[in-house]
Amino acid sequence: MNAIEMSNNGYLLLLQSNEWWKELGREELEKHLAQNHGWIERLMTSGKATGGQALARSGAIVSGKNGRSVTDGPFAESKEVIGGYLLLNVATFEEAVAIAKTCPCLALGGTVEVRPLTNTCPSAARLEELKREEQLATA
Amino acid sequence: MNAQKDQNGFMLLFVGMDWHKNLSPEQTQKVSENWMAWFKGLMAEGKAVAGHPLGCEGKTVSGKNRTVTDGPFAEAKEAIGGYFLLDVATLDEAVEIARQCPGLPFGAKVEVRPVL
Repeated sequence: MNAIEMSNNGYLLLLQSNEWWKELGREELEKHLAQNHGWIERLMTSGKATGGQALARSGAIVSGKNGRSVTDGPFAESKEVIGGYLLLNVATFEEAVAIAKTCPCLALGGTVEVRPLTNTCPSAARLEELKREEQLATA
Repeated sequence: MNAQKDQNGFMLLFVGMDWHKNLSPEQTQKVSENWMAWFKGLMAEGKAVAGHPLGCEGKTVSGKNRTVTDGPFAEAKEAIGGYFLLDVATLDEAVEIARQCPGLPFGAKVEVRPVL
C-alpha cells in the first residue's frame, strides 16, 4: 500500500448506519451495493475522492492508560456504527456536503458526517490562538 | 484475540475531542506534539499510509430527505478527532499500535476497524 497523497485541504465523510441492510432482501441488497460501489468509483475517477473503503463491523476499542483495556468490538449497544469512509479532495465544505448528499445509504436511513481535514489538532490550534491573543494583549 | 490476516489494513478512529480538558496548555501541546511524532514515526516505518486530525466543525447529512444539520456530535467525548490508515497485516498489530496513542491516558479512545 502506498502512502496516500493528501492535500491538507480536504474532507472526510464518515458513513454511519444502523444496519439497515438487515431489512433488505437479496435483490435489493445487490442493487444497493452496486449503487454504492458505483458512487465511490465515480468520485474516485473524477478525482473528487482520493480514497474510500468500507469498514468491517468487527475490530476493537482500545482505552485506558497504555491502552490496557482492549474490548472486542466495537459495538455492543451502539446502533450507529461507522460503516465506511471517503476522503474527499474538494475545496469547500459546501462541495463536501453536496457530495455527501448523494450517498446512496441516505435513502435507507443512513447518516453521513462531514468533517474537515486539518493539519493540527484543534487543541493545538486553540493553543496558538491563545498565545497570539496573549501577545497582542501585552504588545 | 484474533490474529486474522487482513490485507486491506486497518483504520484507527480517535474517539473523544475533550481529552485535554483537564490539562494545562503546555501539557496539551506536549501531548499533541507526541501524537504528531507518533504519526510521523508510523509513516516513516510504512505502517501508516495516511492520517489527519479533524476540524471541530462538521455537518451531518441524514435520511431520505438529506437533512443537513450543523455539528456532527452530541458529546465531545464521542466525537471523532482524527484517523490513521494503517498498513499492517493483523488486528493484533493494529491494536498494538493503537495502544501507543498519546491521548489514551487522558480519556481518548481508539477504535480499530478492519478495512474491507
